[in-house]
Amino acid sequence: MSDLYNESEQQAPRSGLILLQALILGLFCLFAVRLWYLQIHRGEAYQAQALENQLRQESIPSPRGLIRDRNGDLLAVNEPAYALGIIREDCPDVDRLVHQIAVWTGKDYFELKTLYNKNRKRVKPFEPLIVVPDLTFAQLALVETNKLRWPGLEIQFRPRRLYRYGDLFAHVLGYVAEADEEDMSKRPNLALGDYVGKQGIELMLEDRMRGIKGLTQYQVDVNGRRLKERILKHPQAGHEISLSIDLGLQKLCMDWLSEEAGGVAVMDADTGQLWALATAPSYDSNDFSSGLTSKQWAKLRDDPLHPMQNRVIQSVYPPGSLFKHVVAGAGLRYGMIDPRETVFCPGFVKLGRRVFRCWRAGGHGKVDMNRALVESCDVYFYKLGKKLTVDRMSEFAKAVGFGEKTDIRLPHEKAGNIPTREWKIKRFGESWQGGDNLNMAIGQGFTLVTPLQVVRFFAGIANGGKLLKPLLLKDEKTVVQADIPLRPDQIGLLRQALVDTVEDPHGTCRRIRTKGVTVGGKTGTAQVVRLTDELKALKDDQIPYRFRDHAWMAAIAEKDGRRFAIACLVEHGLHGGSGAGPIIKAVIDYLFLDKVTPNPEERKAKARAVRALSLKHKEKRHAD
Amino acid sequence: MPIDRRLLLYINWPLFGLAVILFLIGVLNLYSASGTRLEEGMNMAPFYHRQLLWGAMGLFGMLVFMFFDYRHLKTMAWPLFWTTVVLLVAVFFAGKTIYGARRWLDLGFMNFQPSELAKIAVLIVGARILSREREPLNFIRLAYVLGVGLILAGLIIKQPDLGSGLSILMILGGMILFRGVTAKVFKTCLVAIPCLLPLSWFFLHDYQKQRIMTFLDPTTDPLGAGYHIIQSEIAIGSGGFWGKGFLEGTQSQLRFLPERHTDFAVAVFGEEWGFVGTMVLLILFCVFLYQMVVIARDARGLFGSYLAAGVFFYFFWQILINTGMVLGLMPVVGIPLPFISYGGSATLVNFCLVGLVLNVSMRRFLFKQA
Repeated sequence: MSDLYNESEQQAPRSGLILLQALILGLFCLFAVRLWYLQIHRGEAYQAQALENQLRQESIPSPRGLIRDRNGDLLAVNEPAYALGIIREDCPDVDRLVHQIAVWTGKDYFELKTLYNKNRKRVKPFEPLIVVPDLTFAQLALVETNKLRWPGLEIQFRPRRLYRYGDLFAHVLGYVAEADEEDMSKRPNLALGDYVGKQGIELMLEDRMRGIKGLTQYQVDVNGRRLKERILKHPQAGHEISLSIDLGLQKLCMDWLSEEAGGVAVMDADTGQLWALATAPSYDSNDFSSGLTSKQWAKLRDDPLHPMQNRVIQSVYPPGSLFKHVVAGAGLRYGMIDPRETVFCPGFVKLGRRVFRCWRAGGHGKVDMNRALVESCDVYFYKLGKKLTVDRMSEFAKAVGFGEKTDIRLPHEKAGNIPTREWKIKRFGESWQGGDNLNMAIGQGFTLVTPLQVVRFFAGIANGGKLLKPLLLKDEKTVVQADIPLRPDQIGLLRQALVDTVEDPHGTCRRIRTKGVTVGGKTGTAQVVRLTDELKALKDDQIPYRFRDHAWMAAIAEKDGRRFAIACLVEHGLHGGSGAGPIIKAVIDYLFLDKVTPNPEERKAKARAVRALSLKHKEKRHAD
Repeated sequence: MPIDRRLLLYINWPLFGLAVILFLIGVLNLYSASGTRLEEGMNMAPFYHRQLLWGAMGLFGMLVFMFFDYRHLKTMAWPLFWTTVVLLVAVFFAGKTIYGARRWLDLGFMNFQPSELAKIAVLIVGARILSREREPLNFIRLAYVLGVGLILAGLIIKQPDLGSGLSILMILGGMILFRGVTAKVFKTCLVAIPCLLPLSWFFLHDYQKQRIMTFLDPTTDPLGAGYHIIQSEIAIGSGGFWGKGFLEGTQSQLRFLPERHTDFAVAVFGEEWGFVGTMVLLILFCVFLYQMVVIARDARGLFGSYLAAGVFFYFFWQILINTGMVLGLMPVVGIPLPFISYGGSATLVNFCLVGLVLNVSMRRFLFKQA
């Protein structure tokens, strides 16, 4: 221990002391020379620059391109909006200003403060940090009169997106919202507070619609208040877009879907252009442009009917009897049937110990292919499916566009599912059974399709065999994605069966007959669950909502060289004819007779009742 | 223990006075940087108020560091070192993450940053080891001394806090040079370090590379990273010979200059006081540093000399880097200027370290006590 305090009288190393003094001298000389250079040698130049510093530049937002329907009616426009921002370099007391903004706008101080803290690092010096994106006129007036007393406060004018038919086009147009971190990293031109397409066409064509920002220069006084302003570069508006959608038809479809959950797709069978792409329930795109409140978001998210879901491209359903046209096509393609050959339908078929029933308990008697399609005889297709087996059915189904995306380019499209032997082993660990062939042949079981795939396939039958890319823009060129691998006469047989289904006294689509128009159709029922005998005994109205079958109808219609395909699905709509038929009929009337058939009140009332039922059901499940 | 009158007599009063004067200049400058010309009730008054409060605490801390005999620190060197290591390791497990870095321990009433303690620990341990070295350091001794610093610096860089980690190595490195190395070691390092330096480029984060690139050519990003450098040079340069006068700096008053109260405080000073004022400030700092050299020279015992040399380097690097950055001679790194920049805990530590060297100076004539 003693050693600690008993040091020799050694002196600090001389070289070290010299080093320290040299360092001080070096520091002095270095900085003295630099100061002389900056302050004396170049002092005047810097003084001139200091004066110029009172000029600032700011970008001017560009208005997004307008969106029109196929007839030129405006769907999406821009309206003036005022945002409130803070330029923190000008603001002597941000806390006080944020407090004041909270008082003016009635927003929560802590929410504003959190927003400010989150974003302050991402805003360039002297650019406003937007804290309130959307001022009402009353608020604007209030802030404007007080503005001069609050340095650092900035009112920014910027165009805001307005969707004139908020919920009619929500799923097609999508919506815009403020750019987030991800958007900004993907698109370096975006700054905080800019609006960017988040869904639908707005997202798909973001780069075309955004436009180019302008630049303005202004002089400021000591407190950052603007004195003189000069526009250096005018903003350039984004490109205008014309959709292939027909406003009137879209309106009609949405009106008919009313409060039911379902979707309608109408395609020009010669060009692939979609005239309507309706899905219900919907939401209002405008809610997003002004910033969704958490309450609004929760309401959308928790709705049991999922209004954010685009049922035409994002929902998949078993195709039911619609698939019989695919199976018949496969039979023709692989030469497994002679269309004139008849099959006897006693009302059921036995496979091993299992019995597969026809929907008509008494059977159809002797049916050929046309009759089997027109009357939707299950037994005929059981037998055909057994012959074809899954391999040929799925090969053909894939060849006509099922099981893969249609490339419509709207975000989040689903591919559906066409099962194969390998798929079943992978998915369930079980091998393909003979009974699976039979189920598949009538469109039940593992097959899942989207309404958009259905409309493309039926448009293919209508136009003589071309599978067209579904188009949403009016100026897009028609694209043939594939040819249905059948001879024209074979496609003619399928097409004739569709027409007969409408015209024949026994056909299931008689209600869509239209004078002067060649109409064909096919109904389908997509089983949601296999009904127990107990449920089967119930009347339609008494079956619980979630056990009710989905109703399908696909149709083709032609007059004077104009050809259309229509697909309609109504979730839990029970029967294709009554659930989807009237909607298809209304569409045909609109397209060919120029007639807007209103949706009768009783149908709307029924839809409301069904919706209430589904909500009740949801509540009950929550209560459990 | 009655206080020996000689203790007060031998205090290095110039150093004491310079610390207080520099601090007061800092407060005055802060007052100007706070934009007092704005309408009533809307200035940044709290900044210089708080700074005055921290200064008072600093003076108290300085007295505490003068009171005990600094030679007791010799026995405490290693316990202090290991305590620091434990705290630094604890940061990894129990540390609080702020701005993506784990640097703080939550003590309940305040957030404590062990890397600040590490700066003091490296001074004391360094002084203890080096004061025992009888010869200039050869490779083996150098590796041993550097190893101690690398343990601390490594743990801090891992947090990640490159700035604090490097400053520990720089303080220790300065002390090693003060002790001296063998000619062979010196020559080797002279060749090796410039060769190895470019390699470190690969270990830098992108934003750090960006800063260096921006330093080389600030005009490439006039609204972003280069902004600070350009604005700082304009502010200082426009000060001219006599300066624009107190509270008259248009650049700082117009708030074109960011971070004007912390890292860029000198730019405000340079604009308002001009070449004359800034040279005076520079001379004050040089005299301040020179007093530590005097203390190192006159200290009784090598431990005291090395403590003084360590504190010298603690201040020297900060002055060099901060002023170099503000004058556009170095890349922008967030290092404050002692006593001039706003900052509570930094002010406290600065005064305490001045207290420590004053402690050495006032005990220079004391002989062994019973």
